[in-house]
Order: sequence, then C-alpha cells, then structure tokens
Amino acid sequence: MEPLKLKYREALTEAMAKAMRKPNTLLIGQGVTDYKGIWGTTLGLAEKYPDRVIEAPLSEDAIAGVCLGASLNGMYPINTHIRVDFSLLIFNQLINLIAKYKYMFGGLFEIPMMFRLVIGRSWGQGAQHSQSLQSLLAHIPGLVVIMPSNSQSILESYDYALNHYRGPVVMLEHRLMYELEFEQKNENNHPFETRIDRKGSDITIIATSVMVLEVRRACDYLEKFGIYPEIIDLHSISHPNRELIFNSVKKTGRLLVADTSWLPYGVAAEMSRIISERDPSILKKPIKSLGMAYAPCPTAKVLEDMYYPDVHDLVLSVLELTDKNATQKIPIPIKTPMTDFYKHFKGPF
Amino acid sequence: MITFNSSYEELFYQSLRIRLVEQKIIELYPSDKIQSPVHLSIGQESVAVTLCSQLRDDDWVFINYRGHAFYLAKKGPMPELFAELFGKRTGLSKGKAGSMHLADPKHGLMGSSAVVGSTISHAVGAALASKIRGEKRVFVAVFGDGATEQGVYHESLNFASLHKLPILFLCENNGLAVHASLAERQSYNLLAHARSYGIESTLIEESYNFTELSDFFSLSIEKIREHSLPLLVEVKTCRYKEHVGTSDDFQAGYRSIKEVRDWQLKDPLINDKTLIDKFIPFIQKEIDMAVIFAEESPFPTIDDLLTDIF
Repeated sequence: MEPLKLKYREALTEAMAKAMRKPNTLLIGQGVTDYKGIWGTTLGLAEKYPDRVIEAPLSEDAIAGVCLGASLNGMYPINTHIRVDFSLLIFNQLINLIAKYKYMFGGLFEIPMMFRLVIGRSWGQGAQHSQSLQSLLAHIPGLVVIMPSNSQSILESYDYALNHYRGPVVMLEHRLMYELEFEQKNENNHPFETRIDRKGSDITIIATSVMVLEVRRACDYLEKFGIYPEIIDLHSISHPNRELIFNSVKKTGRLLVADTSWLPYGVAAEMSRIISERDPSILKKPIKSLGMAYAPCPTAKVLEDMYYPDVHDLVLSVLELTDKNATQKIPIPIKTPMTDFYKHFKGPF
Repeated sequence: MITFNSSYEELFYQSLRIRLVEQKIIELYPSDKIQSPVHLSIGQESVAVTLCSQLRDDDWVFINYRGHAFYLAKKGPMPELFAELFGKRTGLSKGKAGSMHLADPKHGLMGSSAVVGSTISHAVGAALASKIRGEKRVFVAVFGDGATEQGVYHESLNFASLHKLPILFLCENNGLAVHASLAERQSYNLLAHARSYGIESTLIEESYNFTELSDFFSLSIEKIREHSLPLLVEVKTCRYKEHVGTSDDFQAGYRSIKEVRDWQLKDPLINDKTLIDKFIPFIQKEIDMAVIFAEESPFPTIDDLLTDIF
C-alpha cells in the first residue's frame, strides 16, 4: 500500500482545525480571518468559531500580552506571525514576560500558549522577510522552540503543545515547505525531541527545518561515493537531545551542522558546545557548519542563491570531513537553490 | 478585635496598614535584609485600597513594580510579603519575585512587571477570555502616567474598546516618570486621548479623599460588570519618596517640595491623629509578627534554583 502523503500546509490546517475543536483555544493574528487564512491553514475557522478566531490589529506587542492574559484566564492562545521578522515586535512580551511568567512568580502561574512564526525564503524575501531566529529564542530559558521539518512532526508536536505541555511554545514553520508533500509515518518520536532521521555510520549531520530536506538530498548523492551519513533532525532547538547527539558523533567521529540561520552564536555553536564540553577526543576531524552567509539577506536572486548553503556545499563539506575526494567520474553537484529544485514556491510571499 | 465605625474608617485602616508596612521597610532597608529594589507607594496608598475594596477575589488586577500597596489591598498576606522581600522560601513566589514581581492569584493579583506598561495588555487578554465565556468579571490594568507613553498602552485601549472588554484602565498619575516631569514627556491630554478610542474617561483630583474615590470605583466597577465595556480613570497621586529606594530626594532639585507638602497637609494618614492612634497598635503587632515570620523562614536552596522554568 502507498504510504499516506500529506502536505506541510495540510498538516498545519489539520492541526489548527483540531486545536479549535477544544473549547478554550483562541486563534489570533493578522490574517487569521481573511480570505487567504495564513496560506489556508486557518480558512473557515472564523466562520465556525467567531468568538475565538480573532483578527489582530497591527499591534503585535499588545496582542502577545493579550495572549498571556487570556492564557492566565484559561484559554489556549495561538498567535500567528506570517514572518518571523514581524514577531520581533513581541519580543518584550516573549522574553521579559512570557518566558519568565512561571519562574519570576515562583511557579504561581502556568501560561500554555503557542506562537506560529513563519520563516520566509526565496523570491526576493530580502532582509526583513527571511530571518530565522531560533537561536535567539532558544537562548531564553522558559521558551520551548520547535522547528518541524515535515507534516508528521507538525501533527505530533502541535497536538502535544496543545494537550500536554503547560507553557509557551514557539513553532518556527518554514514557508518553503508549505506545499511539499511528506510521507506520514509514525516513528514513535517524542513530539518535542531531537530524532534520528536516517541512520548512517560515516559522519553525523545535524540539520534544522528545511535543511533536513537538503541534507537528505545531499546524502542520496553521497551514496555514489560510498558515504553513508547519519542525519539528525534537531527538531527541538531549546531542548536538543544531547545524549543522542553525543552518541551519534561518538559513533561516526565526524560532525557537520546544517542550520537555516547564521552561524555565529547559533545552533552550530551550541552543537559544538555539546561535543567539546563533554569529550572532543571523539572527533576524528574538526566540526564543520553551514548556514546563511553572515549578512542580512539580499533580495537579488543571484545574491540570494549564494547566500544559502545547498546540496553542492553539503556534499563538498562531507567529502572534506570524510577525507574523500571528488573524482572525474563522480562530479560535485552544481549549486542549485532549493526553490529551483522543488519548484513549489514562486512567490510572491 | 478591630472595629470600624464607618467604611471611611476601614479604608483609612487599610491605607494606614500599607503605609506602616512601607515605613517598616524603610526602617529595615539599611540592614540589607531586603536585597531587592523597592518602589514605595507612600502617598499613593488610597488608590489601591479604594479600588480593591470594590473588587471580588475573581476580579483580577495587573500591576507594576510599585506594587506593595496593591498586594496588601488585594488581600495578599503580610507575612508572606515580608518573606518575599527577605528572599525567603516562604514568600508566595519563594523569593524569586522580590518586591518588583508581587502576585497572589488566590486573591486575584495576577502579576506585576518591572518593564513599564507591560502588564496593561495582560488585563485586556484576561478580560477577553472572560467575555468569550460570558462571565461577569472585572479586570483592572494599573499603570502610571509614564506607561501611557508606551505604544502598547494605545494598542491596548484600541483592542479593549473594539471588543468591548470589561476592563478598568487605572492610571495613577504622580506626575513623574522616575525623575522626568509630565511636561517634559507628554504632548497629549490623557482623557481626551482615551476618549478618542470611545472610552469614557474620568479624572479624580483628590485621591486622599477615600470615600469619594471608593464611591467612584463602586459605580465604575458596577458599570463595567453590567455592560462589559472599558473605562478609564486617571487619579492624581503624590509620590512622597524617591522613584526607587527609601529616601526623600527633594535635594536633587527636580521636583518641588512645596507640592508634596501641600499634598501632605490633606493626607488623612498624616492628619487624622485620632484614627492613627486608634489603629497603630493593631497594625504594629501584625507587622512585628510578619517580620518575625520572615526572619525565621528558611532561604530557598539549590533545589529551587532550576524549578518553575518550563
């Protein structure tokens, strides 16, 4: 039987529909009631639940606070931001209040709630529609930060956040994946935990969000060289499974980190910390990392194509780490932006 | 047993109780037993007392870092307050809150923040939740005049008015943001501005008039409860002490001592000697017991350091 397939967007739609069936869920954000409905993921919900699906004024700061207050008063707020960049306007609430509300009052309060932040990429998203701020968020104690890399992860982690976790969760969704189909398979991962995406032996590659897909493509290609990497889907940025990561690197002796964001002080730095603070002698080679070039994102396509790492960069890095050389018989794949490969995202937003 | 001959006496008693607690804090502060920045409410007690006298436990109040008065007025327990200030495990927040983050959810004090203006929207959100469920509860956002300069204040007025939420926006206007006067900071008239959002707004000039203030709050709270709508009240107050800490700071020259002295001439907590004499023994005893409780309580331990985060 063909495995069931589900688009990332469809999984989000299902997660939202399921969430709203709970009588205390409050869905609030700019565009949740309009005819596009956050790329369809909230369509129809305002008609069904007019009191609990609320169009937000362009007042991000207040709305985040409204969510905190509503959560204190028994609601489960889901606050949407169609770009991560716009959510920077809620960072006072998120960092000074929401992340600290439990601790600062010595456990008097719990504030379960969810933020859906969408990372943009390609079609000229430019400097303010493309930021991927997971490490900034995961730096703050009190926030759970999740980057689902497929439909199953969405279904499981959103359900877990809603029904089992009693604190604030930030879901970083990636716009590039919205129209991609994923096979649905239950692999019994904990909904908030790091998971092994593909077993391997020659090198460990830790990837976040859409980079998991790019790493898979690179690994398919690397089979031509007889290289079998172990892929780790980090999934939980705030709570990486350190044991799982350490044991994988201990087995392979080599580590490449592929993140959707900048490298300095980021996910790659944290992964390196996990290894170097515990036992750097397990490494046969120094760690390598790939992420966005350390610049604001440029708009011009030619520049943007250079800005993000792709299969080409991944294959080169793995060959270097595994001491294999490219041969004339097996060329290195040429640089192809993910959007060109998947041909699903043609803008404008 | 304390007996009150009028509601004025009771309001007076509650206000005096807060003042004496804060005077105790001033007395204790040089000992360094309280290692937390304290923002004293001395001169402003009546606002908290008269408001809270009209609220139920399930009417919620969201305040700021100048919070001792609201904590006590909303029935927060005094021994636990001193314990919290002393950084003891028996404080309601286990010593993790200190003076600036007082809360007592059992009595509807739902949190306080040291970032100016940042709890206003919390009251709005809590009001929204109750409105959705069709409850008849009232929510109060307490803030100072400085907070009205924050964008989030404007955003909150708009949202509350748009959704007709049962909320009282209560501005304690002491005319100072830390050391900056109103004239240096504001181009707008607070009431006119709030009215432009369709919010009925009132100015109370004399917060030392306990009965008038309490009657006003009684009507306002009832109106909000019955009709589910936001109201705004600006109450003129006088901060006797420095912004943070326990001293007077008239010598700094940024404010007029005359204004404060004029205010103090009308302050019942200074001038009504009969009632002061009547109540002081009761209150002093309660304060002494509370301080002893705090003194004798244990400090939090390493086991508390990493709890309550996630």
